[in-house]
Formats: sequence, C-alpha cells, structure tokens
Amino acid sequence: MHFWQDPQFGNRMITLMAALVLVLQIMMVTERWIITNIRAFALQSFLLACIANTIAYYNNAPHIYAAAVFMLLVKAILLPVVFERLVKRIDIRQEIEPFVNAPITVIVTGLLTLLAYVVAEAFHRPDEPMGPASLGHNTLAVAIALFLIGFFMMVNRRKALTQVLALLSLENGIFLAAISLTYGMPMIVEVGIFFDVLVAGMVLAILVYRIRETFDSMDVTRLSRLKG
Amino acid sequence: MIGAAIAIGFQAALVLLLSPLVTGFNRFLKARVQLRRGPGVLQPYRDIFKLLRKGMVIPETASWIFTVTPYLLFVTTLLASLLIPMVSALAPLSLFGGVLAVVYLLALGRFFTALAGLDTGSSFGGLGSSREMTISAIAEPALMLAVFTVAIGAGSTNLSTVALSALGQSWRFLAPSQMLAFAALFIVLIAETGRIPVDNPSTHLELTMIHEAMILEYSGPYLALIEWSAAMKQLVLMMLMVNVFFPFGLSEDWSPLAVLISLAWFLLKLLLLSLAVAIVEVSNAKMRLFRVPELLAVAFVLSALALVSTFLFQA
Repeated sequence: MHFWQDPQFGNRMITLMAALVLVLQIMMVTERWIITNIRAFALQSFLLACIANTIAYYNNAPHIYAAAVFMLLVKAILLPVVFERLVKRIDIRQEIEPFVNAPITVIVTGLLTLLAYVVAEAFHRPDEPMGPASLGHNTLAVAIALFLIGFFMMVNRRKALTQVLALLSLENGIFLAAISLTYGMPMIVEVGIFFDVLVAGMVLAILVYRIRETFDSMDVTRLSRLKG
Repeated sequence: MIGAAIAIGFQAALVLLLSPLVTGFNRFLKARVQLRRGPGVLQPYRDIFKLLRKGMVIPETASWIFTVTPYLLFVTTLLASLLIPMVSALAPLSLFGGVLAVVYLLALGRFFTALAGLDTGSSFGGLGSSREMTISAIAEPALMLAVFTVAIGAGSTNLSTVALSALGQSWRFLAPSQMLAFAALFIVLIAETGRIPVDNPSTHLELTMIHEAMILEYSGPYLALIEWSAAMKQLVLMMLMVNVFFPFGLSEDWSPLAVLISLAWFLLKLLLLSLAVAIVEVSNAKMRLFRVPELLAVAFVLSALALVSTFLFQA
C-alpha cells in the first residue's frame, strides 16, 4: 500500500487544506486590495475543490468528483476571471473601505472562529471509528467559521463587488459543510447549486456595473439617495 | 554523570563553532542568489578573531551595565542553546528548563542589550533600544504562542519531550497547527535576527538600523562577543525550528554513530532553512519601520490560529 492510500494521510491533508482555507478567509477579511481579494477567493475555491477531490478519492464516490470539477470551473476559474475583468473595466479605486479597522476586524474574526468551534463541538464524536467514511468530519468547525466570517465580511464592507465576494466565500463555507458532513448532496442538487451560484455571480457582476454607471461609485450607502 | 558532561561540552562546542559558519553561509547564499561573489564563508570567524585582538574604547559615561552586557548576552545565548535538541533529542540541559527558559534567556540578553544601548547616553543607542523593544514586544508573544502550540501537542514544554513525541508520529508536520506555527516562527526568525524585510544587517544607516544602533558604541573584544552571540541566537532559533517541527533523523540518545548521522541531517535541514531565508531576503525590499509591527501582527495572528486550530480540528 502506498502512503497516499492511507486514510490517515488523507485526513492530514484534508485538515491541512481546511486550515489554509480558514487562513485565506482571514486574509480576505483584512486585505485592502480588491484584486488580491479576488485571487484569495480563487485560491480558496481551488483548495475546496482539492478537499472534495480527496474525499471522493478515498470514498470512491463519482458524484463528489463532479462537485469538485464544478467547484474548480465555476468558482476557482470562471467567476474570478469575470470579476477581475469587471474591476479593470470600471477602473475603480482598488482599495476596499471597511467600516471597522483591521485590528478590530481580526479580533471579531477570532471571536467568530471560537463561536464556530463551540457550535461544532456539539457534533463531535471522538469514539467514532477512523475510516474513509469519517474523512473531513473535523472540518465542520472551519465550515461554520467560513460561514460566519463571510457574513461579517458582507456587513463590514461598503462596496458592492466586495460584498459579492463575501457572499461567495460564505457559500464556500456551506459547500465545505455539505461535503464534510454528508458526502455532498445528490448530483442534481449539486448542479442546481452551482448553476445558481454562476448565475448569481454573473447577475451581481452586471448589477455592480450598473450601480457604478448610475452613481459613479460602488459604495452601496449611496443607493439610498434619490436620483433625479 | 561523565556522559552528561560530554554531552554539554560537545553541544556547546558545536554551537560556538558552528554559529559563525551559519552566519557566513547565509551571507554567502544571499550573495550568490544576487549574483554577487560576496565574502567567503569563513569571514565571520576572521571578523571575530580580528576583533578579539583589538583594543577597546569604552565611553566615559558608560556604567557597569555597559561592561556586563557582552558577557551576559554571550552566556544567556549559549545556555539557551543547550536547552534545545541539536544532534540528539535529549538536549544536554533539558532537565533545567523547557521552552519558557529558552524564550526568557533570550529576552534577558535582549533586555540588557537595550539597557546598554541607553547606558552610554548617545542618541543612536536610545533610538535602537526603543526600536528593538517595539519589535520584540510583538515578536515575543508570537514566539510564545507558536511554541505553546507545539507544547500542547506533546503535553510538555520540555523541548526534549516535544522532540521525542514528534519523532513517534508520522505526518505530524502536516497538521495545520504545526504548519501555521512554523510560518509564524519563520517571521519571528526574520525579525529577531534582523533580516531584510525588518532590518538590514549589512548597513549602518541611521534611518533604518535597529540592532546595529544599540551596539554602536561597542568595539574590540566586546563587539566580538556581541557579534558571536547574535550568530548563536540565529542558530538557536533555527535549531528550535528544524528540530522541533521536522525531527527527521534526530538521534534518540547520545551514542556516537547516531549523533553523527543526526548531525548530518541537522546540517541538511539548516541548509534548506538558510536557503529559504536567503530567498526571502533577496526577493523583498526593506519595510518602512512603521510597517514592521503589521508584519509581526501577521505572525501573531498565524500563531494564534495555530493554537486555535489544535482545538478546532480535535487533532
């Protein structure tokens, strides 16, 4: 048996990638440049695709491979490319302007991670036998943390495009939770979700462009002003 | 008893002799990556030897702190190096203290260096001390959290126990807590040894220098001791990183053959780490001083995450 067929090794790799996903999420919260943010999101999605791929490999589950491929195509390649082109096209000032400053953001992020840990603790069963089927169960805390931090990021930002990115990274958290707890959803649901994300991403990209055209800014606080 | 004495003597001699070589090798690597020829690998030995034979100028305003500091720095750094596994998992003085002792022996040396910088009353010395303390105030918690992460995994702060338990587990270094703690320690290594994004060890430009500003008044044998301690401190941090996180080939006892093999492994790991440091140094520009705390805050967040992730993944 080669070392990469050992589920113990697979578990290590999944845990490691999940940790990197969390690091990238925290990097996205504190990062000031939109382009770097988009690339961090692309890398995060790529890592999630890798996690899905690893789980599929150890469980011999073809439909998880499909989910991994969708993830790679839609969220790691297509959407980042679309967003980068959008950023270049509307020539925005590339600095993100969050509402609270970086140190407080980091503290809030830490607290949200702890909250995620407390929630996920309830689902933890240490007596569970170690095997391919239980791979990735320990990433639930990370999934919940991604979800919470994504939500915080959405609230914390002024500009439409960065809010879209936050929404997508929140969706990454849901993907991780689904894949770590249930081997992913049925194929048809999976396809539906990715189609949904793709369309949402595209529509939001157009919406962002329209907001920018109409208000000369992506700052969503200006949307409440009346325009003659 | 005699075995322990031999172990202490061997590791102390190794640290004393190897540390200037590591510094010289780092400079050599950096020069080569920049396509320069650079000074030879043995240059730090020549510098220390030359300084030891020279006369000394001691400022009139200096008090006893100024004369005590070089000896104190040298002894604390050497003691700290004996607490860390180098060529055998059983560090010679590991009975006397664990990782906390290492961190605070280094901190004691730094404290006295900063005092000595202030002692002479020159403006550069005070400036250097203030900068050094600003940086170490953030670097130290990051270092502590990173080593605590490792200590939690082993259930002990004794570095020999940590190294032994690390030897027993396969794929341990892939655990996210280990990776994150290693990344944090790498940033701390860069900051504490005054490497390029934080400080430039090869200039004496008053706008940027940190460590050099504190020891500006030293000359002759005292300067030799301080330079030698700086080299040893670098080796101590590198030892901590390579042997605690990647204990491949580390001998579990002090039998001569096993020690020789693990010495070879140790040099190999040291070479790889030096290469990583050289690449970081060449590919970055010196940061503005006010940006340095941000870099160290990254190290702090990384090591805090490392600590959290030991619980997060129930590993």
